[in-house]
Amino acid sequence: MKSLWQPTLLAGLLTLACCAATTQQVALTGNVMVDGPNAMANGPPRDRVLWEYRTAAAAMRQGNFSLAKQYLDNALLTLGGIYGKDPNAKKARGYFHGEAKKTFIGEPYERSMAYIYRGIIYWMDGEPDNARACFRSAEFEDSDAENRQYAGDWVLPDYLDGLATMKVGGDGMDAFKRAQAAARGIKLPPYNPKANVLIFLEFGPGPTKFATGQYGEELRIRTLPPTVASAEMRVDSLKIPVVPTDDVCFQATTRGGRVMDHILGQKAVFKSTTGAAGNLALMGGLTTAAVSGDRTAQEVGLGIALAGLVGTIVSGATVPAADTRTWDNLPQYLSFACLPLPVGQHVVTVQFLDPSRRVLANLTKTIHLNITTTEHDKVVFVSDSSVTPQTL
Amino acid sequence: MKPISTKLSVSLCIAAVAALMAGCASHGVKNPSGVPVTHLNPDEQGFVAGTGPESQDLVTVADKMARSIVGIPQIANAATPPTIVLQPVENQTRFPINKDIFLTRIRSQLNTKAQGKVMFLARKQMEALEKERNLKREGAVTASSDPGVQEFKGADYFLTGSLQGLSTRTAAGTSDYILYDFHLIDARTSVMVWEDSAEMKKQGLEDAAYR
Repeated sequence: MKSLWQPTLLAGLLTLACCAATTQQVALTGNVMVDGPNAMANGPPRDRVLWEYRTAAAAMRQGNFSLAKQYLDNALLTLGGIYGKDPNAKKARGYFHGEAKKTFIGEPYERSMAYIYRGIIYWMDGEPDNARACFRSAEFEDSDAENRQYAGDWVLPDYLDGLATMKVGGDGMDAFKRAQAAARGIKLPPYNPKANVLIFLEFGPGPTKFATGQYGEELRIRTLPPTVASAEMRVDSLKIPVVPTDDVCFQATTRGGRVMDHILGQKAVFKSTTGAAGNLALMGGLTTAAVSGDRTAQEVGLGIALAGLVGTIVSGATVPAADTRTWDNLPQYLSFACLPLPVGQHVVTVQFLDPSRRVLANLTKTIHLNITTTEHDKVVFVSDSSVTPQTL
Repeated sequence: MKPISTKLSVSLCIAAVAALMAGCASHGVKNPSGVPVTHLNPDEQGFVAGTGPESQDLVTVADKMARSIVGIPQIANAATPPTIVLQPVENQTRFPINKDIFLTRIRSQLNTKAQGKVMFLARKQMEALEKERNLKREGAVTASSDPGVQEFKGADYFLTGSLQGLSTRTAAGTSDYILYDFHLIDARTSVMVWEDSAEMKKQGLEDAAYR
């Protein structure tokens, strides 16, 4: 029996050596604008889209829209070409790798947000039809929810789809009606053909992921109580209340189960069953070998113990853990306002309010707008974590 | 005869090494030596494919449109080559794309293959052209003809189009249909003298790990 320690020790050493040789860890500073490019360059390729998402969002809040565009375009290229065989995804489905082995493209709410951000930038660049394409893709990503009631139920993408259609000479009312139908307790403002300033707002902490279950096989979404619940905008002397149009946390938590949840559930059952059977066989076999005086019985006992050991090793190597990689700098709420402003200088002040409607003074943003023409839309993006003041 | 424990030990060692070697391989980087550049014709589907417009669609659609335009009587039988101005294509699909690339390829095909049966006006460069003309009129630069004469041509036709899509996504996969429609409009009468379209439908299903 003593010699059984040799393979066990060897296996342990090899495991350690194996892990040490292949783990690509990137030291994080907490600053996404530093960590993102570093992780994209030196981290695991499977996390690249995750960092592109995060860095793009951070860049937008810093007013660096060209950088955000670059990262979002890269991420959306990966997202749009994910069809068919994918060796990393195959590994993620296998017993011996966690779900996080797959190339990250995010859950549908994250994919939708990537398209929404890219749509905003397209509109900024004077391409409302390509912006509309992104808003349509945002709805599309949400369109196969297990619970059909919540399929394609983002409000803002549909509303903006209609607005963009109107801007390029179409009607847009179909999309408006879809948006109004999905809006929960909000009456959406009718489109104003003269509105040339579009203001996108986002605020509050977005959803994050965590895992529950015996082996962390159940993906869960954590939503924090809203710290920012609404906003108030002042444009020159005009005061505009801003209520949330979309709740990203709602979108994250209403899709129902995934196909991958079923696979992870099977992995957990396999791990549990092989582990229990392995332990039982190992203990039973060793006991038989130890107490029996008969050589044949001892050999049979050792054989059973060996099978049990294999079962235990297989169980130990099975990884049913859900993928909890999260686009962790998403907002909770999205909102939008548009208004007509004449050519000239204007000042937009956005105050964010807590759930008790108290102004969170440290989050107030100021944007100096220079409208040079009313022929093209001026697009403003304001987050509760945007830099301030901004000049656009 | 070796004792059974020794046999067991050897077998287990081999099994452990084999299993762990397999485990290590799965941690390795795919294509560690890289993949050499693969030359593909723009009209063939590569190994990287989505359900949106791709180069093979562009080539197919632009070639079909160029052949179709050059055959219409207004161009084939025109005494002098008609002038065409490109108007932006409207993207109504769910795919953000550089939609002007379709018109660029149609223009390029017509300019190279139609042997001067049509002429395109460089309206995108009007600002630079007007500046140059004004410099000539002011005598700041030389002119090979009288710069005071208006020689900028007007359009006989506008060439434009739209990309429209129908998309479906279910547990069975994603399906995208795109209708590429182009038309030529008489600038004098507003009559649509030519229209043609091409259709593409693509379907795909992502790995279950993404569903």
